[in-house]
Formats: sequence, C-alpha cells, structure tokens
Amino acid sequence: MTSYLVRRVTGALVILVIISAITFYLFYAVPRDPARAFCGKICQPETLALIRHNLGMDEPLFVQYWHWLVGIFAGRDFVQFGSCPAPCLGYSFATQEPVFSAIVDRFPVTLSLTLGASVVILAFGILTGMIAAWKVGQPLDKIASSSSVIGASLQIYFVGPLLAFYLVDTMQLIPRPSYVPITENPLDWFTHLLLPWVVLSIIFTANYTRMTRSQMVEQLAEDYVRTARAKGMSSRTVFFRFAWRGAMIPILTIFGVDLATLLGGAIITEQTFSLHGIGELAVRAVQNTDLPMLLGVTIVGAAAIVLLNIVVDVLYAFIDPRVRLS
Amino acid sequence: MRSHSRRIASMTAVLAAGALALAGCAKGGGGGAPQGAAGTSQKPLENKAVSAIAVGTAADSTGPAPEVTGAKSGGTVYMIDRDDFSHLDPGRIYLNYNASVSKLFTRTLTDYKRDDAGNIKLVGDLATDTGTTTDGGKTWKFTLKDGLKWQDGTPITSADIKYSFERLFADFITEGPDYAETWLVPDAKKPFREQYKGPYDGKELDTIETPDDKTVVFHLNGAHPDFNFTVAMTGYGAVPKAQDTKQKYDKQPFSSGPYKIVSHITDKSLDLERNENWDPKTDPIRHAYPDKFHMEFGIQAQQTTERFLADAGNDKYAFTFHNAVAPERVQEVLGNAEAMKRSIQGLTPFTTFYNINTKRITDINVRKAIITAWPAKQIQQIGGGEINTGKIATTVMSPTVLGYEAFDLYGKLAKPEGDPEAAKKLLAQSGTPNPTVVYAYNQTPTQEKVTVAIKEALTKAGFKVVAKPLNAGTYYDAIGPVDNKYDIYWGGWAADWPTGSTAIQPQYDGRLITDNSPNYTHLNVPEINDAIDKANAITDAAEAGKAWAAIDRQIMEQAAIVPEYYQTYFGLYGSGLGGVRFDPVWGEQSAIDIYVKQ
Amino acid sequence: MTTVSWSGEPGTSRGPGPFLSVRDLSVEFSTEDGIVHAVDGLSFDLEKGTTLGIVGESGSGKSVTNLAILGLHDPAHTKIGGEIWLEDQELISAGRGTMEKLRGNRVAMIFQDPLTALSPFHTIGRQIGEVYRKHKGASKKEARDRAVEMLRRVGIPQPETRVDHYPHEFSGGMRQRAMIAMALVCDPDLLIADEPTTALDVTVQAQILDLLKELQQQFGTAIILITHDLGVVAGTADNVLVMYAGRAAERGTVREVLREPRHPYTWGLLSSMPRLNSSVDVPLKPVRGTPPSLLNPPSGCPFHPRCDYPKLAGPELCFNQRPSVSPETGHGDACYLTLEQKKELRTAQTKDHA
Repeated sequence: MTSYLVRRVTGALVILVIISAITFYLFYAVPRDPARAFCGKICQPETLALIRHNLGMDEPLFVQYWHWLVGIFAGRDFVQFGSCPAPCLGYSFATQEPVFSAIVDRFPVTLSLTLGASVVILAFGILTGMIAAWKVGQPLDKIASSSSVIGASLQIYFVGPLLAFYLVDTMQLIPRPSYVPITENPLDWFTHLLLPWVVLSIIFTANYTRMTRSQMVEQLAEDYVRTARAKGMSSRTVFFRFAWRGAMIPILTIFGVDLATLLGGAIITEQTFSLHGIGELAVRAVQNTDLPMLLGVTIVGAAAIVLLNIVVDVLYAFIDPRVRLS
Repeated sequence: MRSHSRRIASMTAVLAAGALALAGCAKGGGGGAPQGAAGTSQKPLENKAVSAIAVGTAADSTGPAPEVTGAKSGGTVYMIDRDDFSHLDPGRIYLNYNASVSKLFTRTLTDYKRDDAGNIKLVGDLATDTGTTTDGGKTWKFTLKDGLKWQDGTPITSADIKYSFERLFADFITEGPDYAETWLVPDAKKPFREQYKGPYDGKELDTIETPDDKTVVFHLNGAHPDFNFTVAMTGYGAVPKAQDTKQKYDKQPFSSGPYKIVSHITDKSLDLERNENWDPKTDPIRHAYPDKFHMEFGIQAQQTTERFLADAGNDKYAFTFHNAVAPERVQEVLGNAEAMKRSIQGLTPFTTFYNINTKRITDINVRKAIITAWPAKQIQQIGGGEINTGKIATTVMSPTVLGYEAFDLYGKLAKPEGDPEAAKKLLAQSGTPNPTVVYAYNQTPTQEKVTVAIKEALTKAGFKVVAKPLNAGTYYDAIGPVDNKYDIYWGGWAADWPTGSTAIQPQYDGRLITDNSPNYTHLNVPEINDAIDKANAITDAAEAGKAWAAIDRQIMEQAAIVPEYYQTYFGLYGSGLGGVRFDPVWGEQSAIDIYVKQ
Repeated sequence: MTTVSWSGEPGTSRGPGPFLSVRDLSVEFSTEDGIVHAVDGLSFDLEKGTTLGIVGESGSGKSVTNLAILGLHDPAHTKIGGEIWLEDQELISAGRGTMEKLRGNRVAMIFQDPLTALSPFHTIGRQIGEVYRKHKGASKKEARDRAVEMLRRVGIPQPETRVDHYPHEFSGGMRQRAMIAMALVCDPDLLIADEPTTALDVTVQAQILDLLKELQQQFGTAIILITHDLGVVAGTADNVLVMYAGRAAERGTVREVLREPRHPYTWGLLSSMPRLNSSVDVPLKPVRGTPPSLLNPPSGCPFHPRCDYPKLAGPELCFNQRPSVSPETGHGDACYLTLEQKKELRTAQTKDHA
C-alpha cells in the first residue's frame, strides 16, 4: 500500500511537471505581449523593455520555465511586484498578488463547494437511483427516472439565478450565497452554501440517479446476487449488501472522471453566485489573459484532479478486494 | 483619464473592439434618451459639458466643500462591483475605476470640483490654487494649504510632494502616466529613466524645488500651459516617503484623504474608515458623511442590477462605482419609475471610432466616402440602441473635453443609416469609383453582425470590402504596426485630462507615429501638427479650448476617422443613499458626496 | 396460477408421499418478443437420500424448473402454474418469508460457475457464515467456526486461513468446494446442483461428484443434479429425467434409461456421447437440427422437427398431438411409437454403432 502510494504520487508529480511545461509553452507562446498590461496608455518602447525585464520575459522561454519551476521551491524576486516567497507560482498580472496565496486564499471556497456538492450528488443520486431500482417499473421508479432526465437538462446559469430570485430575494428562506469559513461559523457556512450546492448538484445528481438505477438493475441480475437469494438472504440484504457493492464500483469510476467536470461546474456556480473561489480566479485569468494565474490555476486544478483520482483508486481497493494496490 | 473599461485598462491589448463596444456595455452601459422607450420619465441627455469646464480660483479652492442638502454624517456605505481595484499606488493608476476610489484616500495638487449644475472646475486640492506660471507654462509653482496631514497626523510637506514625483521614475512604476516624468528630465527626447532612476538610491530630482515646507516649484523642459490639469491625474497623487512600501504600497496606500484603508483583501473586499486627521476645511471637493465604506468585488453587472432592483438589506445602502445596468435589464429599469429615481446617467469621456488608415487610403475623397456611406444607425441598433452604446458621435473630441464644439461635416446625424448616393459622388471625384477596402475586426458574434452591416452599406456605395477577422486577445497587436495591412479598424480613446492636448495630440500628431502608438490612423498633416504646437502653447484655457476645437474640425475634414459613439453611463444605487452623483471626469458613480439617509 | 387438485394420489393432506413432488409445473416468461413457455406440464418425484439427474440441452427448462422450486424467478415477468410439494409444504403458493426461511436452509443450491456465483466483495468465510447466522441464529464466532468446519468437510486444506480469503484467491475446484460448503452449511434436505461440474476440468469434476455422493451418504440429502452430460448422471444419479423443450421426454432409473432408452431424443443424446467401450473411429452422432424456439413451440410433439421417425407413428399424429409420458409410473417416455418399434429401431442403431 505504501509503495503503491509512493509510486502513484511520483507518477502524479511527473504528470504535473509535463502539464505545467506544456501549459507554460502554450500560454506564453500566444502572439501578444503581456508587458503591455503594465504600461501606461501611451507606452514608450523603453518602458515596455523595462517591464519585460522586470517580469523576466526577456529571456528564452525554457529559461523562463526553469525560473518558474525553481520559484516553486526556492521563491523568486520580481522588480515589478517585489519578493515572492516559496512556493512561488509568480504574481498575477491582473491583480498583482502572489498567485499561490490567491489560490490558497480561495481554495476553501471551491473545496467547500465541490465537496459539499459531491456529498449531495452521491447521497441524493445514489439514494434516488436505489429507490428507482428497488421499485423498478413502478410509479416511484418512473418519477425518479423522469425527474432525473429533467434535472440533467437544466443548466446552472439558468437554475441558479432563478432559485436565488425565489428562495433568497422573494421568499427570503435562505441567505444570499456567500462563503463563511467553516472555522468561523459552521452553521452559516452550511446555510450560505446550501443553494450553490443544490444548484451545482442538480445536473450531476440526475446522472447518478440514472447510473445507480441501471447499475443496480444490472447487478441484481448477476449470478452472485442470485446466489445470495438462493441462500435465503432477505431482499433488503441482497439489495443493500450485495448488489450495492457491485454497483458502486462503476459509479466510483465515473465519479473519478466527473470530478474534473465538477470543478468545471464549480466555475460556473461561483460565477453565478459571486463566490470568490478558484473558478472565479480562472475565469478572470482567462478574461485578462493573466498568464501566471492561468498557469497556477491550471496546475493546482490538475494536481487536485490527480490527487482525487488517487483517492478514488484507493477507495476502489476498499470496495473491491480484487483490486490490489501493489 | 484612461479608457473606461477595466478590461481595457488591466490589459491594454485585451481591449478588443468588441469588448468595448459590446462587452463594454456590461461596463459602460447606456444612458441618455432611449430610442423608442416612449413614455418613460427620461430627460434627454445633453452634450453639455462643453463650456462647463473651467479653471477655478483660489477662492474656489478653499474648503470645506459646500454641504449637500439633507446630508447627515454616519452609517456605512456599501459598494458592489465586478472588479477589485487593479492599483491603489497612485503612481500606478491610470484607470478611472482606480481613480474614483482613490479620491477617498489620495489627494493631488489639483482636482476637479463639480457644482450642483454639473459644471466642472479645476481647483487646488492640496494646493491653495491651481498653480501659477509666469513663463507660459515652463515653470509651475504650487503652494500647499495649511493643516494638511497624513493619516498618522504628520504634516504633508512640499518634500512629500517632491518625493511623490521622484518615485515615479522607479523601475517598478510603469503603469501610470508619464507626462510629468518626460517633462521633468533635462532632455524630453531621451528616455526619462536614463536621466534619473528614482529616489531609492538616495538621488534627488533637481528640477523640483522645495524652497520651504509649503512651496513646490516644477521646472519643465518645455512649455505646458495645462500642467495644472496634468497634476490632477491620480497618477500624481501624494505618497509619503516614510510610508513608502514600494511594490506593496499598491495594496495599501497611506491616506491623505478623508478615509483610510482598514483592510484590503485582493479581489474580495476593501474596508475604509474615517481618517480623523483629514481636515474638511482644507478640502474644497470631498465630503465624508459615512463613517465607513465596505466594498465588495466579483459581482457581475447582471447581479448588481438585480440586487439594486431588489433593494433589500444592506443593498439599500449600496452603490457601484463602475457596474452599469446589465444591457438585458435596461428596458425593465427604464420602465420602473421607482428604480429610475435612484439611477445615474451621464456622458463618459470615452469615445469610440473607426480608424481609417490614411497611409493606405491616401485619397481623401475615398475616406470621405467611407464616412458618408457608414451605417452608424445600423451598428447602433445591433449594439442594442443608444442606451446600450452611446450617442452617435461626429467629432474627435468628446463633449466632456474643454472647448468641444458640435459639428457634423458629413451629415451623419441627418442620415445616420448612411448615404450611398452621396458616397458614390465622392468616389467618382476620387478617380477610383470602386476601391477595395480591408476592414479588420474583432471576431465576436456581435462584431460579425456589425461587419455584415458595414460591408452591406459600403458595397452599396460602390466599395469592395474585404473583411479580416482578428483574434480578440491580439487585436491591438495586429493593428499596432505602422505598416499593417488593414484600411479600417475600430478604436477607442479617452482624454487623460479634459483638454485637447490629451484628447487629440497622442492620436493625431503625425510626428509621434511609431509601431503600437495611439496614432492608428497614421495621419500626418503638417498644418495639423503645427496647429497642435500652437494650441499647446496657449495659456488661457478657454482660448486653448477654441484652438483644439478648430483642430478637431481639421482632422474631421481630413476624414481620418469615422466617429462612432460618445459613450454613456447608466447605473443604479440603493434607496437608502443620498448624494450619489455621476462623475463626468471619470464617467462613473462618485463616492465623495454620498450619505446614508437617516 | 392454477391449482390442480389431486384425486386419489397424494392429496392436500399428504401422507407418506414422495419427499419432493412436482406436479404439472408450467413456467412462462413474458418478454418483449412474446411469451416464452419455458416449462410445460412437468411432473416428477424425488425421494429422500436419492439423486435425480435432470438432463437436457440448454433451454430445455431444467434450470428454470429448479429456480421455480426455490422461487428465484423474477415475479414481475413470470407466470407459474402447477404445484411443488416439499413434504407437506406447497412452494408455489408460499409467501416470501417462508421461501426465504427455506432457501439455504432446507433447500440449497449450487450453481454452475462458482466464480460469478460467489460474491467477489466478501470473504468465503463470511459468505458461508452468513447463511448459518441467518437460519440458525448463530453468533459471528459460531458462524466462522462453522465455516471452517464446512471448508474442512469439503476438503479445503488449511481452512482456518482460507476462510478469510476472497473467491478470486481460490482455484476453480476450490471455489466449487466452497460453494458446496456454503450450500450444505445448514444441512439441507434437498440440494439442487445446477451443472456443478461444467466449469471444471475433468479430474476436479470427479472429485466434486464424489464429494456430493459422500455427503449424500452421510446426511441423506436428496439431490437434483442438473446436467447436459449423461456421463455425469450415469455415475451419480439414481433416477433420470430427460427434458426437451420444457417437457419431460423420458423418465426412469439410471439403469432403465441408459440401458434401454426409449425416446428418440434420448437415443440422440446417448449417441452424441463418447463411450469408453466403443471404438475410437466411430464418429459421434449429434442430434441434428437445433433446439426449438420456446417463444413459438412446434405443434404436436416438440421433438418432431428433429426426429428421424415422425411418420412411423402414423401420418399426422406426431405433427398434431402432444404426447405425454406413459406409463404414469416407472420407466416412461413421451413418444407415440410403440415399444416394439422403439426396440427395433434401437437395436438397428446400436448395431450400426458397434
């Protein structure tokens, strides 16, 4: 197990370095000069050259990448921004704050949003899927299945403002979505994120309902499930102890893949509710062609996905003894 | 002042034609009389700033600022906006958005005072008056008022002012204006940083003298009669030597104004509280009614519009510096009489236009034909009508510039949809009845539509139009080179201070043509260059204004641009606030007269 | 569901009748394509301590019959008729709770592929133990001890460690032994073994069959052995039931059916099977044609499209009328040919072979 983890993490680091190199080259190869963003309206050529030097952009691309990489471990100094202690991912071109601290600062928001939504998605999706599978062909199944189709066709930027209008503005049932640190007030953290969680989960939940249902139906037809019934296990035991285990494996697989999509959904959700998360950073970075921020967000996002996939793989081993972590 | 949109500002090159004309709506919004919105309680917007800009006297410069009727002290004012302020270090500020908030904690030698009628006067802010010059604008003397203090109670001295200018030469201060820097070194033709490297290595700038604690004398390398306007730019705001944290100063500047920064969390919030060391008697411009300001960022125009309409909770006491009414909600707001009572409208200093590359289209009749055939009205309709775009422009200078004169050489207001027949006649005189023109545009869905309209209108007049889509991210890099291969391309401009020198010279002085310079039309007419020099030398502001208006006419006679809009602003604020005004100099909401209704 | 009342024979208050009695069983599945008549009018009996071999091709209804005994069919899509008596308990009309108490306890089942039939997510010990806990109310510890004991009994070495292993850590034969251990953990009266050796190689097959026999002798369990392999039946069963298209084709003791097969289908089965005492160069003769569609079974005798002699019993009989097994008891078959005709044809056939 330990050696497995060491190998996986090493592999993940290699992947991250490759991703960062590719992203670095892609971003910095755009045919425009970020230095102009730091230059007044009427920009003198010598000022432009000075800025390039300040930003370290007067060096060959691979040297720039090397500095960037070294900065992560050793920190850097920028004339334009001042010192940037390790781990340094550079300074944002748009907000002039260290990229790393900007990301760290916003990470809890996106983490709360994504984890909370994951819980809602898995809990609700699996629950309704199980109910549908339990009552296959019956009205409850049909309600669950058709509402999942409706859910899947909804869009965050449509549902979000709509629910906000009714639940927050009109009925004032819940507070306006914002981020309250869980360490500050867990209840406020919960109530203020409730709407974003629900909105972000809606489309995904529907998918998991459908998946759980079909997986359960499939598992219920498996030989070992029949064996369990032949042993005299009650339908409930068969359903929850045997079939559920089998159905969870493909669902976990899909969830591992969906994590990336979920992060994407978090971006839209953050935009919709003005939450100051990584997603907002990413969108702003794109709008402003803020290369260091884009690079930082990309790397942190990739790292998060890689890490979560390792977690998913470890979870696998717990659910399915046939998977050995060696 | 700098272009209106933060998007433009934070990244010059990102400023894409469409981003401004259209996405710019998200920022710029609309104002003025809505077309076809009959029955609303709207007063038509006038192009009135013209004669209303003046240079004030020492009496005008004396504090305190006249009371706002009904205003009371106390309470917290909220501000919600899309973006955090990109810079707060005065030396790094060029943008209206950053300048608006800086007014609460950064003071400059001179500044603009607005009266109830909307007239603008340049007055002394830190200085007792708007400065004096005895040699036509080469030497400028400013005297500081009594009782000026920093937020820690130490006095603001002439040495502080000198230092504030010296530090602008430092290598990390690159974003702000560089007029004064260029004029304060011995040789204006050579890069200023080669002649002075800033105060951090202990060297001083000899061209600024401080004979005593109250007096600052600037020795410029040439005559600049409107230098007193120059120093009104936030970029020349005061920074105390003792508190200069260099790069870090950008996040938390030291206050000379009525408020001081309590906390600034980048991209999230800025909290201000009263600066007890600010003396209202020294300040002819600012009020400080609220006890506190709480500003939040990351809120899109659509959301601020909804929140202002809902007017619930703390949003009652909220305004926005920059966010305009979201274009899709404009009609709804116009129809909402209650909301209209808390709306702000006005003409911003920002103008947009289509550059005609005079280096490629050398025949003046062809250029005139382009303007004559131009489908201004169709373009405005595609953009969502006047309220979302602006008033159709016919001049180079905006009505917000001192000396502006309204004229319409090509009858664009009479026939805004274009006059193909008249254009054909002009082409016939040119000898090329069917010239080919290359129109380069920013490839966005709306710009695609605009391009279709332009192509159609010009084709009707006999042009052959080749449309070249450009990438939004690299638009300016593409049109920047002097030898670019395009004939017509969109652009935008706002004067750095409301006189013709920055409204006209950077764009139309033919001697300044280089790659990536703002002279995108590459117009180089000796008479105009001469006239610019003459206008720059006129010391009387009103006389200078007339001279600049005449140059404006000359440029339009040369048919170097197709003017597009004088951009308008249309925004909302909460019902619990009073004194929320439009700032015509910055083109957005102003914080300095705001009070909480009690 | 129809309940046919028996006159004369066992009756509702059953005296000392057979241990298991299946009467006129029919099973129909509704599918998207129509109704599948998987079992049609099947009757057979089974005594304690004996083994009944049910033989037939795939789709002949042998597995379905046994799933019906355990009530493991999908109730939403299945219609069952007839009666199944286990001593004095009728199973078709029994409630869910009754069936759950019965399964794994009095009646146990062994499936064909022990790899898919065992849960991959639970240890062998747990899978065995949970049956014991369910039916005998044993504690975890008792269940585990019982699992070890059962594993030992079915011949798994080091049962104390193997009990904690997962099925994928067992070999095929070991898995089937574990499966048998699981089936026998509650000392069932009836064990249904559905092709228990098909997935195993020949040596292991023999071991498993021996194990079953041994256990039967020890505990007097009645066994239904479902197989398509007459060889397996020959060595293990007391009685044989040959099924074709959901119906009984022939029934009798192993000796009767294998020595003097009467139904042409049984002949086909026998001649498609290699024998040790026949010469190697005699080609095997499989039954020609393919099994009939149960969606749309042939008219008359279901075997007639594949039968070589459908006209011998008369010009129309085999084509129009469905034969039932006769005589009622003892060695019987469902064919219109007379005993003499069959004897003649059979003699001629075996001569060809020899």
